[in-house]
Amino acid sequence: MSRLETHKAVIGYGGTPIVHGVDVEIPDGKITAIVGPNGCGKSTLLRALIRLLAPIDGAIALDGQDIHSIPTREVARRVGLLPQSPLAPAGITVKELVARGRTPHQKVLRPWSSTDETAVMSALHSTNLTTIQDSVVDELSGGQRQRAWIAMTLAQDTPLMLLDEPTTYLDISHQYEVLELLHRLNERQGRTIVMVVHDLHQAARYAHHVIAMCDGEVAAAGAPEDVFTEELVSRVFDIDARIIPDPVTGTPIIVPAHGPGGAR
Amino acid sequence: MKILRIGPLGITTHQRTFAVGLAIFAVLATLFVFALSWGKADLTVLDSLKAAVGISVGSPGDFIVGQVRAPRAITAVLVGATLGLAGAILQSLTRNPLASPDFIGITAGASTGAVITMWMGIGASLWITAAGAAIGALLTSAAILALSWKRGIVPLRLILAGIGIGFVAQSLTQYLLTRMDVHDAGTALGWLVGSVTGRTWTHVTVAALVLAVLVPVILWHARALRTMEMGDDTAKALGISVGRSRAVLAVASVLLAAAATAITGPIGFIALVAPALALRLTRNAGVTLIPSALMGAVLLLAADQLSQLMPATLQFPVGIFTAAIGAPYLLWLVWRASRGGPS
Repeated sequence: MSRLETHKAVIGYGGTPIVHGVDVEIPDGKITAIVGPNGCGKSTLLRALIRLLAPIDGAIALDGQDIHSIPTREVARRVGLLPQSPLAPAGITVKELVARGRTPHQKVLRPWSSTDETAVMSALHSTNLTTIQDSVVDELSGGQRQRAWIAMTLAQDTPLMLLDEPTTYLDISHQYEVLELLHRLNERQGRTIVMVVHDLHQAARYAHHVIAMCDGEVAAAGAPEDVFTEELVSRVFDIDARIIPDPVTGTPIIVPAHGPGGAR
Repeated sequence: MKILRIGPLGITTHQRTFAVGLAIFAVLATLFVFALSWGKADLTVLDSLKAAVGISVGSPGDFIVGQVRAPRAITAVLVGATLGLAGAILQSLTRNPLASPDFIGITAGASTGAVITMWMGIGASLWITAAGAAIGALLTSAAILALSWKRGIVPLRLILAGIGIGFVAQSLTQYLLTRMDVHDAGTALGWLVGSVTGRTWTHVTVAALVLAVLVPVILWHARALRTMEMGDDTAKALGISVGRSRAVLAVASVLLAAAATAITGPIGFIALVAPALALRLTRNAGVTLIPSALMGAVLLLAADQLSQLMPATLQFPVGIFTAAIGAPYLLWLVWRASRGGPS
């Protein structure tokens, strides 16, 4: 089952297509990773999935309806987004930031309800931010800040969450902290998660479904074990690679076939 | 974050923002009473309040307060609030503390528009001057936007284009002054200095009507304004119609600046400083509209009172005093920016 899908979607900026007619289905209740080399159209696809970009041709459907025919606020109640480099207003506290996630649920004359309060507290709780909820976001560590943004997206309370490179710029322990959090959210709350990631190993470990993109096309889509083959890695990323199983999880690990200086 | 709920409509605000807002309001009220009762003809506070609302207290209170001090003080309050709001919106929309209408040429454009109505000899009515100012301000804003647009507003380009367009508008105003008949040019020059001296109930009516129309529209989009400070993508993902809200708010802020200019002539720095002060006092994360408006009102009324406290030979127009407050702030902003700190 898929609530969010594209049909022959051509997507780009200012009429220049970057993604050329792709059919993508986001499986419900699963973690989907979108991978591919720089400039392959990963983020472009993600932006179109939450209607930040209108397709030049083809369509994007949310619950079987053209996403551009659904009111902005209604889309925001079903799909949340963590952009690549969001701006935190100067001096905003963690809780205030998370509270901004309730925006699509509020009305001009009824801005704050107990439902909002509950959603915010529960988002803070799931991201382990309750104890630092009054800290100023600018003063947090990179990992904490990223969790705060994820908490904001959580408070939005959408069944679908899209994340654009949630682990980029974080050190390895914070990367895994974020991935573990996403895993928990998927497992315990059944949220559908779509993330653009660079690290293939992390994609294989944490995603149920992988969409590999290359030159604006979908090169392969499916379970990590089926997608990450030596042939595909060579075709998409242009490196000669060996695939070995992860000693802990058994999921594929991609290592270059040549050592430093071409040694085997 | 302590949230305060007020009334059945459930208006929510932070406790600190509310407290600071009340404090600014108290200062404003005190200044206002002072403005009504203090002066050469000393009146009791009660008498001046009565005269201001039209209850006769006899001569000379009826005239001095009812026709001179009250309209002047209320004009200062309303125009100050208008400027504070215009600056707050513009600074928030552009995410730039330098983007105030007097800085990026909008006020200059409004002045040119107003002077054109005087040059054409149709500027006798304040409404026509205001319409001229609005057209001038909208045209300059469109030009500034066109020049600074490159896949969105580029903040530095906006400031530079604004300063450039502002100079063009000013030279056009100067040229018109040389082409005008001497009497009209005198009127225009007096108006161009920027002052609340001699403002009447007509000025108050125009200011009040403009605020009555625009403030509800602005408050309706206040949440959108705050959310857009987090970037367009985040705002759209949170369900804000970014394009529409931005257009409405930008036009509203330009119209506010134009109305203020039409009523008092160009008064600098209030729109620049009031939102920044309000932000610092409330420690709000992001734009805070009502405290900015109150702060604008306090600043303009205080500046006008200061100018009246001076001995007669030193009674500068109020714009000089607002500059005295604003210039050091501007220098401080530039100094901070040059040290690479957050601005």
